[in-house]
Amino acid sequence: MRFDTVIIGGGLAGLTAGISLQEAGRKTAIVSSGQNAMHFFSGNFESPSADRDRIAALFAAAGVRTNAIDGQMLMPMGTFRDASLTLEDVTVFPDRHVADKALIVNFTGFHDFFSTFIADALEQDGTACRIRFVRLPEMEHLRLSPSEMRSVNIARAMDEHWEKVVADIRILHKDEDLILLPQVFGLKDASVLDKIRTALPARVAFIGTMPPSVPGIRTQMLLKRRFEVLGGTYLMGDEVTSAALHDGIVSSVTTRNLDTVRLFADHFILATGGYFSKGIVTTPTQVHEPLFGLDLDFPENRSAWYRADFFADQPFMNFGVKTDEALHALKDGEPVRNLFAIGSILGNTRKEDFGTAAGLAIRTAFAVVDNIKGENV
Amino acid sequence: MKRNEYDVIIVGGGITGAGTARDCAMRGLRVLLIERHDIATGATGRNHGLLHSGARYAVTDQESANECIRENMILRRIASHCVDETDGFFITLPEDDLNYQAKFVESCLAAGISAEVIDPKEALRMEPALNPDLIGAVKVPDGSVDPFRLCASNMVDAKIHGAQVLLYTEVTGFIKDGDTIKGVRTYNHQTHKAVEYYANITVNAAGIWGQHIADLAGVKIGMFPAKGALLIFAHRVNGIVINRCRKPANADILVPGDTVCIIGTTSTKIPFEECDEVRVTPDEVNLLVEEGAKLAPALASTRILRAYAGVRPLVSADNDPSGRNISRGIVCLDHEERDGLKGFVTITGGKLMTYRLMAEMVTDLVCRKLSVDKACETAETPLPGAGGKNFREVAEKIWENPTTVQKAAVARLGTTANRVQTSDSLDQSLICECEEVSVGEINSAIERLDVSGLTDLRRRTRLGMGTCQGELCGCRAAGMLAKAHGCADKARDDLKDFLTERWKGMYPIGWGDALREAEYTQWVYKHVLGV
Repeated sequence: MRFDTVIIGGGLAGLTAGISLQEAGRKTAIVSSGQNAMHFFSGNFESPSADRDRIAALFAAAGVRTNAIDGQMLMPMGTFRDASLTLEDVTVFPDRHVADKALIVNFTGFHDFFSTFIADALEQDGTACRIRFVRLPEMEHLRLSPSEMRSVNIARAMDEHWEKVVADIRILHKDEDLILLPQVFGLKDASVLDKIRTALPARVAFIGTMPPSVPGIRTQMLLKRRFEVLGGTYLMGDEVTSAALHDGIVSSVTTRNLDTVRLFADHFILATGGYFSKGIVTTPTQVHEPLFGLDLDFPENRSAWYRADFFADQPFMNFGVKTDEALHALKDGEPVRNLFAIGSILGNTRKEDFGTAAGLAIRTAFAVVDNIKGENV
Repeated sequence: MKRNEYDVIIVGGGITGAGTARDCAMRGLRVLLIERHDIATGATGRNHGLLHSGARYAVTDQESANECIRENMILRRIASHCVDETDGFFITLPEDDLNYQAKFVESCLAAGISAEVIDPKEALRMEPALNPDLIGAVKVPDGSVDPFRLCASNMVDAKIHGAQVLLYTEVTGFIKDGDTIKGVRTYNHQTHKAVEYYANITVNAAGIWGQHIADLAGVKIGMFPAKGALLIFAHRVNGIVINRCRKPANADILVPGDTVCIIGTTSTKIPFEECDEVRVTPDEVNLLVEEGAKLAPALASTRILRAYAGVRPLVSADNDPSGRNISRGIVCLDHEERDGLKGFVTITGGKLMTYRLMAEMVTDLVCRKLSVDKACETAETPLPGAGGKNFREVAEKIWENPTTVQKAAVARLGTTANRVQTSDSLDQSLICECEEVSVGEINSAIERLDVSGLTDLRRRTRLGMGTCQGELCGCRAAGMLAKAHGCADKARDDLKDFLTERWKGMYPIGWGDALREAEYTQWVYKHVLGV
């Protein structure tokens, strides 16, 4: 099979590149093992406001609405983070005094929404908080198994029964000017978020939970659908097993499911992620990129990979595939001329240019797409 | 009696202190136990969790071997909920001397330890994880024991018999009257208050830190801190304890415990000042991995969960400061006789296995000094939670059709699991999925077992001891603690400490799946949850 571009990895970086290339009329395939960091996306693009129009446009075309507002995002543990572009689920506040009075509503027995921490933090900034719980007979089946009260399972029930929860909240609500709910709504259809906002008698803010992230999963599904609607080929649950790399050029790759059918392309984009998704693999003595054997810098002495303080910047989080300015991956010190590396496989090696996290994924994807399209060459 | 007066003050909340508090309280003494951290934070919680048969010491130290097998049989009775009767093998590998086996068996039998030579093929059938190259195997009555549970049970029973327990309280000095210790000065790290307590006798049961306590009292004990490093593997690779049949050496014991197995240990002399901050080095990790795979080859491809190290409280048996006469045996010092200091005794040396005997010896001494004539009953009286053949049977006595969550609670708490609320699906809901710890079990621990933070909770419930090392359950349990203690700020700081403490054991083995987990945890806490 022949494509203009083959992207290895179907997370935020891979999908952003794939959609952009298909929009430009390039025939693109994405090989995805099925796991990716969208399932624990905070909803914050962690990207400078300069890029936000382009990101917002790409997501809007996929049916993902975003908030382009500079302000403060309320995190699940009650802390705040700067935000300039977020998914529409995330409410961005101008400052930490989010309201005079807030009603925090959780589901009875749902331990992945941290209402106590949120209330405590908000009270310190002058918001009086009341925590109340709702319990629906329609959700009781989830309790039959002791590990089913998790975000996505609740969200599945909420797709059907959100109106009943809204009715309960209307009874609980007194005079609060803000109602805080966990992000367990609109798994299939984000329009439920607006319906809930309209139906409740105060402003509504949806706050993150322990992963899996319901907004992240929905966004991933919509981006994948957008890519396929544009004519892209998404090879789900497949993995690249080998690559033909000669004289600084990748000619083709093979995958587990396609067996002997090779994927040929002019360009290849490596978006296989960091350690968790096995884009980078470690042994007691080595840090390596398993598909192409690309260059990576790491200290030989393993003790230098870590710091004892868990919350300090961990050196291992900085390790990543080395690239040239244009994000061509390096092998044996030389750029592979048609192989680009994007997203968290870069670690923090390009932090100065592209930032970290979701911002890194999207901005490196844009940079590579521009390069392929010849706009920046 | 004045509020701060006791018959006996016990310094140290490890297994020796807990056992001594129980014994003293059962003999009718008014007991106060003081611990500067939490229960089982020293060597008690930092060993193999091996229920020694004594076989390991049979060739070199008959006395220790005999003590072990006697206590082994006692613990099976009085602490059945803490003990897993796995049996043990002493295997001979091609590079070992098979002649050692005959001497080993003979020494075991002489010490009263059953030792049965098993055909290597039969041994491999009984324990498929064994190195298939083995040329000899001897079966002995080893087992595994959960030291946290054992310590907590002793503490609970001491309290049932009237003892008072002060955790996070540090002894800062002694109150002396001439040549007599009258009591202790303490500082509570949680209330930040300094308080004095008085007793006729103070027992120094502080393990390796006993040297410092003795210094405070004005007497010298020569300790020789020896660090031992161990690794926890993520699966219970073996069902039977595996030892090497040779002179005791590094990394020659593999113990199955709960859902994991533990390889150890090493032995490195360290300066006394380092006892509070022991770290496992890459060299120690490499040695343990390499030697462990010789016992059970599957270890080479099994994920490692964490590394940790403890400090053995080895002590010079007499006043010899050179350390030439180091004993692994029990050392019970009457400082009146030894140093002319009245009202102060030390119990140290020994092993997890012999804690009860140590407690009995020192309590006998305390009773003699106080002219109390009551016999020790700890060898016959079961600890709270003990009873029943296996956890299924116990669970079925409590509930008609026990769920897996209820069975998991019984496996940890024995018969006292009946105090855990599990009637409602809310209580059965899991907080820690790796170790199946439910809401009810956590609430019960918070209510009954002196839990001030997540790490305390871990020692009492196994929360966060599984594959994810607390990455998911830490947050959930922090939420429960914030609610129970009404203090979210403290719970948030506590969560950070908990994660840093878990990380301490993860980065020494931070490669492969462990590093994948670590990256995920970094992401979740820094980017998603915003800790």
